[in-house]
Amino acid sequence: MKRAITLLSFGAILAFASTQLLATGNAENGKQKAATCFACHGVDGNSIDPQYPRLAGQYNLYLQRVLHEYKDGQRNNPIMKGMVATLSDQDIEDVATYFSGLPSKLDTLKGHISGDK
Amino acid sequence: MTRLQLLGLAAATALFAATSVHAEGDKAAGRKLIYTCAGCHGVPGYTNAYPQYPVPKIAGQNEQYIVNALQGYQSGDRKHPTMDAQAQSLSATDIQNIAAYLSSLAK
Repeated sequence: MKRAITLLSFGAILAFASTQLLATGNAENGKQKAATCFACHGVDGNSIDPQYPRLAGQYNLYLQRVLHEYKDGQRNNPIMKGMVATLSDQDIEDVATYFSGLPSKLDTLKGHISGDK
Repeated sequence: MTRLQLLGLAAATALFAATSVHAEGDKAAGRKLIYTCAGCHGVPGYTNAYPQYPVPKIAGQNEQYIVNALQGYQSGDRKHPTMDAQAQSLSATDIQNIAAYLSSLAK
């Protein structure tokens, strides 16, 4: 019995941990809220102006992290500060989920360094 | 030629000069420089520790954004312990070269 409880609690912890990692944003809501982002970052999340980053296919949790950093001032950018000011935590999850799910031109460096391939 | 036209011409020349200053990185040189970057940015799904979040995908990212990010780490505008240290070791030319190579990798 004791063992079963231990196992069960491990299972519960794992389940909880994995939902945290999956980040439960809603892409459809995110698309609505991302309307102001499109001017610079593109409707498809692939900014044409090279000074703005491509967002399409970037990691969901990285995008969330960055939006929070702009919001709390840890990352300082006047344009983005204004943009995120009105976003709630849920909005941030939704917008990040939307952009991270778009077809991407981004990749990790795997296979792109000297000596690879 | 009127004074206004002259002014316009001067402005256009200045603009042209400014745009041609950047975006001339050497991709081959950049490729050699990013060996270190791959330690973190080359591992799919790799996460930063404390706080925990994924290390961003940078292959295929836009050129000027990469330049701005690295310069930001150098100047202290943008903060991340590992990236601050990495950026300090790069010259302005190194940054142009890295940005040229990374942006050329867009899928």
